[in-house]
Amino acid sequence: MTRNGETVKWITARRRHPLAGYAVVILALALFGVGFAALAPASDEARAQTLSAEAPSPEDVDAANGKAIFDQTCASCHNYDGSGTYTDEDGNREMTNGPDLREVGSASVDFQVSTGRMPSMNPEAQMPRKDMVMSEQDLADLIAYYDESIRTDDMGADIPYDVPDAAPERADFEDDESYEVALEEYEAEYDAYIEGADDVDMGMKLYLTNCAHCHSWSGGGGALTDGRWAPELHDSTPREIYEAMVSGPGAMPMFSDGVITPEEKQELISYVKTLQAEPNAGGIFDLERVGQVAEGFIGWTIGLSLIIACAIWITAKQRAHD
Amino acid sequence: MSKTTQAPKALRGVGNFIDDRFHLAKTGEKNLRKVFPNHWSFMLGEIALYSFIILLVTGVFLTLWFKPSMLEVVYDGSYERLQGVPMSEAFASTLHIDFDVRGGFLVRQIHHWAALIFVASLVVHMLRVFFTGAFRKPREINWLIGVAIFSLAMVEGLFGYSLPDDLPSGMGVRILQGVMLAIPLVGSYISMFLFGGEFPGEDIITRLYMLHVLLLPAILLALIVAHFMILWHQKHTQYPGQGRTDKKVVGTPMFPAFAVKAGGFFFFTFAVIAGLSAFVQINPIHLFGPFTPTSITSGLQPDWYMGFMEGSLRIFPNSLDFTIPIGNGYPIITAVLIPGLGVMGLLFGALGAWPFVEQWITGDKRAHNVADRPRNAPTRTALGVGGIVFYGVLWLAGSNDILSETFSIDLYLTTYIFRVLIFVGPVVGYFVAKRICLGLQRRDRESLEHGYESGIIQQLPSGEFIEVHKENSDETTHVLESKPVITSTALEEPETDDKGVENPNARKGMGKFRRALAHWYTKDNVSFEGVEAHTGHHLHHGAEDKDH
Repeated sequence: MTRNGETVKWITARRRHPLAGYAVVILALALFGVGFAALAPASDEARAQTLSAEAPSPEDVDAANGKAIFDQTCASCHNYDGSGTYTDEDGNREMTNGPDLREVGSASVDFQVSTGRMPSMNPEAQMPRKDMVMSEQDLADLIAYYDESIRTDDMGADIPYDVPDAAPERADFEDDESYEVALEEYEAEYDAYIEGADDVDMGMKLYLTNCAHCHSWSGGGGALTDGRWAPELHDSTPREIYEAMVSGPGAMPMFSDGVITPEEKQELISYVKTLQAEPNAGGIFDLERVGQVAEGFIGWTIGLSLIIACAIWITAKQRAHD
Repeated sequence: MSKTTQAPKALRGVGNFIDDRFHLAKTGEKNLRKVFPNHWSFMLGEIALYSFIILLVTGVFLTLWFKPSMLEVVYDGSYERLQGVPMSEAFASTLHIDFDVRGGFLVRQIHHWAALIFVASLVVHMLRVFFTGAFRKPREINWLIGVAIFSLAMVEGLFGYSLPDDLPSGMGVRILQGVMLAIPLVGSYISMFLFGGEFPGEDIITRLYMLHVLLLPAILLALIVAHFMILWHQKHTQYPGQGRTDKKVVGTPMFPAFAVKAGGFFFFTFAVIAGLSAFVQINPIHLFGPFTPTSITSGLQPDWYMGFMEGSLRIFPNSLDFTIPIGNGYPIITAVLIPGLGVMGLLFGALGAWPFVEQWITGDKRAHNVADRPRNAPTRTALGVGGIVFYGVLWLAGSNDILSETFSIDLYLTTYIFRVLIFVGPVVGYFVAKRICLGLQRRDRESLEHGYESGIIQQLPSGEFIEVHKENSDETTHVLESKPVITSTALEEPETDDKGVENPNARKGMGKFRRALAHWYTKDNVSFEGVEAHTGHHLHHGAEDKDH
């Protein structure tokens, strides 16, 4: 490489090229992007692992273990009796950080713990979906203890054991064979529940009337007032959606079985899950199904920019003489 | 000299046949030799033209199957998920186009992407014309036609968006109806008239369809043709350069060079739009499902060009509504009226009025065919940037729920941020842009006086380091020297005449106002007076060194 008769390095010869600035910016952006992707924590995935379609039998659960878990992980906010209150030195009843659990029902406990929202690290803030902190067995024990000792008069909703929960995980099985059997069993159960609902119109009307104004038409979630948000439903299992409806977590209203019957709930859940599984007929890039904001963004940044780049390109030759 | 080649006999025969009857040869020759400037920013309007052609072609294709009817049918087409669902015929026929017509899905997506690109290219084209002062005399009428095309394109897009009768369509029409209802006195009558009764009624799709495929495209086409004929007659503006004057256009002849370029550019535009349509899903109505009046969803927006209206509706406070105490009380819904119609009126009113306002301020009645460099009209450029910021803030506010969710910002907080930004943003944009313009003017003067920085560092015998400046090319020098001085006739009139009598223009309210505006419009300027090209001392070092 020579310039003015002198040999210069490859990079020196190109440093003042008109495109050098752009190249540096693109490289820097790529570096930051890749670096961020490498360093940023991977998104949390749901990993609830209940398999059984029926309530666990009393022999399989250990309420004593459940009490140990409750006292250790729940009582600091909800108190040992789950009342969410305590008596201070002057004999006044005071609120603790957590709400009263005695009337919420086991569906609520199952929902909050299996979606990783409880135990919460910050009682003030809305908790995002996370991996469950305890094992399936521990959760079953905890619920047994809750039903036995904390719940008042069977108030609140029970866990809908007939609604399918999450798919089994390979890691929980000793060999491929037993895993595949469990998976097949699960899929049959899931399909039976989802396909058992066949009135799309009813499911759609129920969803678009009751749910979509927070969770959005696609189940992708949305912003709510006061800094809260409606979570996306894509990772939620049918059972979790059911439990959320009957227990009304956070800002969500409660849709008891009296308001929306179990059959209607099945239609509704089927609508959400079928829509979610629907392939993107319009192209491989679905823009996360965000809709018009994403479309406008792509229209400007990719569409119009490419066309203008072409205009610059086809007029460039003349400009070189300017 | 090259030999003049003759056209083949067959072509000559056809040519002569036509020419004998229509005498087109002379006109044809003149028009085919029409000169087009060579700068990418003059191609922006063409993107709009090409996407409009694509819209017409794909639109015709879609009308072959679309049924603009709100008659309720039960869907039994090949899209399984919605089989058995009652829906309007409009929605069912759109599903039919998507899933049962060969290529229908792609064409529908091309139609939609082309619409987004069409309006976007109108905006960038208009910004180019604004910032280069190409709207000045003699082109004010064409500017007004452009503003009309822009406003009609938005309405045309809104109506098209409403036709499939899917969930976002219905919500869009509902907002449209809400804005109509907010018009004092006649609002409810207009709404009842348009919808043929209460919302949603059974007529609205049919009526919007007529407007979308017949009336509005016809008006748009007529305006576009007028826009082009005027352009053809007046010729393009051109950037300053050697040999380019208000009387002489420099560029490539229409035929063959420019025609080849423009033809290629059409195909590129089509390729980008078709590429987007093939790979990026847009407006998936089959996922949205049909609209019913009870359906409502979060996370839905209008297409981008209506975003600023959506945004102004979202951030405008509702505390200014009031009721006129006549009879049962007559409510004035300012929270819908002002952002819904007022902001649109402000935008298009300001755009339409600006050429005349500027002319009134400067008193400049000359014809301008050489475009301004944006930096050389700092006040206008700064105003334009302020306008862009104003529009941009409203546009962003229209997506505040998506922004809130994507970036985990409190939804209410975004509203407050936008309420502040809508006032502060344009002012900041105005001053920053103006300072940048003046900075660039200073750099131009520097470059004119001292030449450009060559990037070569030399050490003088005394040990001093200098950077060698080199002389600009004649072309650059010409461009730099051609910086116009912005003046106003208002400031040239003396306050008093030679007999000491006060100038009546300067005394009256309007005259005073005009003088104040003229002062504001012209005061910021880096004077090039007395600056001669390549007389600065930096250059002399370089020149001396060259002599050695």
